[in-house]
Amino acid sequence: MSKNPANLKTIDRLIHEPSRLMIMTQLYVVESADFLFLQHQLQMTPGNLSAHLSKLETAGYVEIVKEFIERKPHTALQLTKKGRSAFKEYQQNLRQVFSDLPK
Amino acid sequence: MNTKTSLREVEKRTYMSYHQDGLLDIFVGVYVLSFASGILLLTLTDFSTWFVIPAIFPAIMVPIWISAKRRITMPRIGYVKFGGRGANKLTAIFIGLMVAGLGAFMAFTFASESQAWALTLRNLIISNGMIIIGISAAAISSLFAYTMGLNRLYAYGLLALVLFSAGHFITIPFGYFLLTIGLVIIINGFALLMRFIRKYPLSQGDETNVEKSR
Repeated sequence: MSKNPANLKTIDRLIHEPSRLMIMTQLYVVESADFLFLQHQLQMTPGNLSAHLSKLETAGYVEIVKEFIERKPHTALQLTKKGRSAFKEYQQNLRQVFSDLPK
Repeated sequence: MNTKTSLREVEKRTYMSYHQDGLLDIFVGVYVLSFASGILLLTLTDFSTWFVIPAIFPAIMVPIWISAKRRITMPRIGYVKFGGRGANKLTAIFIGLMVAGLGAFMAFTFASESQAWALTLRNLIISNGMIIIGISAAAISSLFAYTMGLNRLYAYGLLALVLFSAGHFITIPFGYFLLTIGLVIIINGFALLMRFIRKYPLSQGDETNVEKSR
């Protein structure tokens, strides 16, 4: 247990879910990626990935970017500013929780 | 928990995944070949404007590479745009190497005209030129291998080190060493490409539009 259990309450539960954490981490290290790339990279089924992306999109963490590549429409996903700062905050809070644990 | 390390691992895995198609290797290999052909033309036919070949190469090959990425890689594993830290780091390394190389060359050229130590050093570099080229190639290759997480770049660096060091003892025109390295990289690139195409066959329903997947 943490010395200060209140720290655990600061953990963003939306990001903390393992599949969503993987999606957020993957999108954090790139500018944008499309659905197929995320699916291959994270080894998730289309339905599962889609469901988690919907939750992240609703929270305003992920946005859909429409662009044209060689005159063909293409849809990419990227973290919003809110999503990036939420991820950074999540990192800091999680680090804090672990640093509070007795050695 | 070391979040920096794990983020770095994710970044490396992403680079590895996107470059598993071997197209980067084919591109780099052909670029090395363009240098080799230019230098061999100079050696064999006294073609003094040899540098035109590697100079115009990127203008021809970059659009081909991008197009190949879009036609071969994207439909199979999707598309990712590298930006931010990772891409900036690679650009910084590339520009840093160019500036450092040019700066060292200019400083050394000026110094060697007046300073005795610089003249001695210049003679030392000239007499061990192949070994120094080998070490430089291995170092640059390793730097990119470490940054991008592409371990095969270490192997290319090692190959360059071994071949160029051998060139110190064997009298063969420099272009042939480049030719060998370029060919090895291209062959490996095609092998990776074949493996990639087999591993990720195109199938109905593979598309990159998120909305269609919902």
